[in-house]
Amino acid sequence: MTQRRKWTAIPGLLVLAIGAVMLSAYSGASSSQGNGPDQPIKFPHPRHAGPVAKGGLGMNCLYCHNNANKSADVGMPAVNTCMGCHASVVGTTDAQKAEIKKIAQYADYAAGGKNGKPIPWVRIHKVPEYVHFPHVRHVNAGVTCQTCHGQVQGMEKVYQYSSLNMGWCVNCHVNGYDPKDGQKAAGYDSVPPANYAGGVAYGTPGSVAGIMMTSATSAASVPGSATPGAVHPAATPSTERRRARYDCSACHY
Amino acid sequence: MSNTTESKGVKRRDFLKVLGTAGAAVTTVGCTSDGVSKLIPYLAHPDQTVSGVSTYYASTCRECAASCGIIAETRDGRTTKLEGNPEHPLNRGALCARGQSALQGLYNPDRIRGPMVKENGAWKAVPWDTALALLSQKLGEARSRGGANNAVFLNQHETGSFPGFLDSWLAGFGMRPHLSVDFEADSAAIEANRRTYGVSWPKLSFADAKLIVSFGADFLDNWGMSVPQQLDFADARAKIEGAPRFVYIGARRSLTGLNADQWIACKPGSELAIANALAGKGSIAEAATKSGVAEATLTRLQQELASSKPALVLAGTSGANALDVALAVAAINQASGAVGTTIRPAESSPAFDGVARFSNVMAVTEQMRAGQVPIAFVRGVNPAYNLPAAAKFADAFAKVPFKVSFSMYPDETTELCDLILPDLHSLESWGDAEGGKGVVSLQQPAMDPVFAGTRATADVLIQLAQKDPANAAKYPQKDYRSVLIGRFPGGVSAFTAALQKGVAAGTAAARTTPPEAAAFTWPAPIDQTSGDMYLVTYQSPVLGDGRGANKPWLQELPDPVTKVLWSSWVEIHPETANKRGIERGDIVEVKTASGTLRAPAYLYLGIRPDTIALAIGQGHTSVAKLEDHNGKNDKNVPMQWGYGRYARNIGVRAHDLLVAGSNTAGGFALTSTKATLTTTGDRETLVSTEGSARQHGRGIAQAIPIATLLAGGGAEGAHADEKPSNEVKVEGKEGTGAPKHEEHVSGEASHAFLPGLRSPVAADAQGQLGAPSAKDQGKNKGMYATDHWAGMANRRWAMTVDLARCTGCSACVTACYSENNIPTVGAAWQNATVYAVAKPGFNITRGREMNWLRLERYFEGADDGQWTEDFEARFVPMLCQHCGNAPCEPVCPVYATYHSPDGLNVQVYNRCVGTRYCSNNCPYKVRYFNWFGYGEPDRKQYAFPEPLDQQLNPDVTVRGKGVMEKCTFCVQRIREAETRAKSEGRELVPDEFTVACAQACPSRAIVFGDAADPRWSVSSQVEDKRAYHVFEELNTYTAVVYLKKVNHPGPASPARA
Repeated sequence: MTQRRKWTAIPGLLVLAIGAVMLSAYSGASSSQGNGPDQPIKFPHPRHAGPVAKGGLGMNCLYCHNNANKSADVGMPAVNTCMGCHASVVGTTDAQKAEIKKIAQYADYAAGGKNGKPIPWVRIHKVPEYVHFPHVRHVNAGVTCQTCHGQVQGMEKVYQYSSLNMGWCVNCHVNGYDPKDGQKAAGYDSVPPANYAGGVAYGTPGSVAGIMMTSATSAASVPGSATPGAVHPAATPSTERRRARYDCSACHY
Repeated sequence: MSNTTESKGVKRRDFLKVLGTAGAAVTTVGCTSDGVSKLIPYLAHPDQTVSGVSTYYASTCRECAASCGIIAETRDGRTTKLEGNPEHPLNRGALCARGQSALQGLYNPDRIRGPMVKENGAWKAVPWDTALALLSQKLGEARSRGGANNAVFLNQHETGSFPGFLDSWLAGFGMRPHLSVDFEADSAAIEANRRTYGVSWPKLSFADAKLIVSFGADFLDNWGMSVPQQLDFADARAKIEGAPRFVYIGARRSLTGLNADQWIACKPGSELAIANALAGKGSIAEAATKSGVAEATLTRLQQELASSKPALVLAGTSGANALDVALAVAAINQASGAVGTTIRPAESSPAFDGVARFSNVMAVTEQMRAGQVPIAFVRGVNPAYNLPAAAKFADAFAKVPFKVSFSMYPDETTELCDLILPDLHSLESWGDAEGGKGVVSLQQPAMDPVFAGTRATADVLIQLAQKDPANAAKYPQKDYRSVLIGRFPGGVSAFTAALQKGVAAGTAAARTTPPEAAAFTWPAPIDQTSGDMYLVTYQSPVLGDGRGANKPWLQELPDPVTKVLWSSWVEIHPETANKRGIERGDIVEVKTASGTLRAPAYLYLGIRPDTIALAIGQGHTSVAKLEDHNGKNDKNVPMQWGYGRYARNIGVRAHDLLVAGSNTAGGFALTSTKATLTTTGDRETLVSTEGSARQHGRGIAQAIPIATLLAGGGAEGAHADEKPSNEVKVEGKEGTGAPKHEEHVSGEASHAFLPGLRSPVAADAQGQLGAPSAKDQGKNKGMYATDHWAGMANRRWAMTVDLARCTGCSACVTACYSENNIPTVGAAWQNATVYAVAKPGFNITRGREMNWLRLERYFEGADDGQWTEDFEARFVPMLCQHCGNAPCEPVCPVYATYHSPDGLNVQVYNRCVGTRYCSNNCPYKVRYFNWFGYGEPDRKQYAFPEPLDQQLNPDVTVRGKGVMEKCTFCVQRIREAETRAKSEGRELVPDEFTVACAQACPSRAIVFGDAADPRWSVSSQVEDKRAYHVFEELNTYTAVVYLKKVNHPGPASPARA
């Protein structure tokens, strides 16, 4: 090949390379993993959901994200849910006071909520429109929130922990999910204390269950669990694992 | 590249340069979710709702007078789907296409968004306070001048408490009772019922009849209460043995007529002679002469009537003598002992109590013309459209000094008004209706108003009364809801409890009856009018009296008879057309004494050669010269006059041809004149989804004469004792591979069904296929390992469609659009950008329609197009057959379509690259390609301009350009049911859910379920003697099984199989 022909080959390669890039982009090989935008209110998850030992309140994720075990959508807490506590909790530092005041402004608390506006949280986790991800199925199967969302209880600013790519979904579904891994992901190496099985009240100080698992009661509806509130749901059943590998219509419709 | 590459070719360094560029590109194009959207929480979470989980509200449908019960599925504050309320005695869970389309009225982009006042001929938006103050002032003026008693309030006909409430409100302001207007009501039938049975609408029992004879009563179209009638009719026909034969008499075969076993085509207006002859008041010979029907045919009918008792004879003719026909028919029924069995006055329906006649409306129009009316109100009525042009309504209306409209939509009458106080939709407001005798059907808001600027008329009336010193004391209630609760037995707690079911025992408030029909000029007998053809006009079964025209689902729903959509057409018999040199699509001119119209010709076998027919419903126009938005993306156009962007300037208005004449009951005479038919030389492509009206021996729609079926199911002994080699015993299910009756269409393979209809792949993988002998059964002789994934699920989702029940009404089609976010493609602006042709329906003429479930209609008989009454129509809902051995699957290069373990033929949108090979290879042609970005908001072809997009089903992907789509067997419903069962720790319960088309079907023709599980009803349905697969010879192993239509030929007519 002559020098001239070499330079005619380069544009061809360029086109191929760009094509590959486009394909990989559309196939979802890249993602917004790590994205953690500024939020209208600097909501500190560690203060609310972090362990008491570290200065948190140990609140259960489901206290605010209370649809996670009922619906495909998790739902964001209503402004009133915030005001339920923050009507009296106004903060100690100036920074805290400023942020908490914002909630009251959104809720239009002073005027009795007449002109209240919802807080426009910036969405971080989003799967494409053609993917149907039901939170309820995963939460009720005992998958800890942290398995996919990371240890939000320690994130000053929430970011996208996982890639949310299809490969990431399928990886878990093919290899199966072990509750021990979920506990580890939640930040604890051992089985939670005994009181977990009986169900721990939301936000009980010192309860690791509160922050580790989504809720104790949710495990009650796991099929096959002998007793309500069983701690360890079975690992992903093999039929489900195979289905994830072969049945696109489990999620795509 | 040559082998010199290494030395002189692209060097490593160059390659790295390219790679570097590629890396940079990754960072730029890499898909991210940055800034995709906001998460907007509630301010206060509503009680008992969960985000992402539907809430269901029982309410009442207000799309026609019947008032069926509905369940509104509401997700996150937006109603997304309407289904029939199974608890409601009228519709028992079914809902027609029009009822389901109420959603597109709710979210109509052309809804009026707030009060408006006309100032110097121009509309100006005003606040409610200003608007109400203006109306209060005008009401005061009318009262003080003393002419208030001549005020006119035209309200849409409805049952329930509102009519009585309205009348007492009107009385408070010194005004006379309102007129309850329904242009669809058959005044002649109602009047005859009153005179004969003492009630306006007795219960009609089709199931008890041995013979059904209809004189133009289109009980499967709009006549009476279509859904309850259709349910009952389908039940009657599904009896098979002892099912009533159905004879239809009329000049045109309507949808109801096409469902008849025999058509007697009489001249328009001559039904009276036949009815009289059958009633014994005239001779058959005379009737035959007058009607143009063979004497033998009438004699046979007379004999059949005498031998088949009880019969159900109905009259719903639309000529000037309609009342006489209805009375003669009532006499036949009385004489035959039908009263009490097939016609039950004791179980009468109040649906048409108090409905005003056409002549009442004409009488007030004349008062307007005389300048006697000081103030006029219209609500949900559109007389400027619905009255014939000859009535000159607009001129008369202009003489009224102040005119108020409560309309939701910018219709023709509203455009002539001075003040608009837009009403709430029935899905946003409170109300009640009578669901039957002694049954109150409640109407509750399923969601907050779409537009904050709209208010419920009843609430507005209360507010006006409270401002008025003379009336304030009578209206202590806060709103109309309080009024309803106040008169509900048991008060608020009983009311709240009743809302959950939607129906309760009780009666609605008393209402005033309209004044007796005013003296009015009857039209001249039709034979004395000038013209060479009889002109039959009829209300479209889809658009009704025109009120459905602003809903794209209804515009896109092909007329069940002609399969024409987005346009008007003139029906001409092929023989007449041939004589005059008219071909399908030729523009013809229809001229009467009242006016002239031009429309394309549709050649239709089901019309007399001396008659032409024209449907009512299209032809909405605007008086004002307004900017034509055709060709633009109408996403941001808030409102368009002429009944909205989907109705405006489409087709012609048949009323322009009609005489303003009524029958003797005061009802509008739709068939009262002859017309002159001429060709124009122009032609256009008719917008139609009709491919071929003939089956060409393909056996798509099969039928079996009743005698053959009863004589042994037509098994002809062919397979009666044979055991097919691939039959296997499935656990708990004996003889699933039982031989079926098969009609021998040429080229058809004969085989038995696989066990439980499972796909060959699944059966193979489970070791149930290919066992050549009985002793090998249960052993794996196939090509798959027994633990292969494809054999995993012991499910086979399947469907049966009973053609003996299906009437072709097309409710399933709209249900499918509603459930599956199917875009409509026919609006003018959706094609103008690409083809520079801003013609409604143009995309459809190019085959771009998207109807996953289409209702095919085939004709049998009359092959040569010569005139005969003896031909048959067959309806087949055609959807993806979910073949076990699907031709589409192996040709897809990207595995975007494949067979799921539970028997679905799946289309994965995100894999699809749009090669369309699958569609090419599909023998059923049920795959639809997104040629344009119908689902993409920034494209001009976008099908869901705001706020129509709020209806979209959140469980279903909105497909983008370049993607193939098709029926999914409502996979989202399957997955939802699976999730629910799993969350509750149980297995699916047989028949616990169904697909959208089956749910809606007012004939209960469609059954869906797991054919591999004998506990689901579908698995016994597929065992029916009449079961067949379409194109069985292709070995596609379809999951959709049709049950043959059953024909009931007359005593001497040929049986057609």
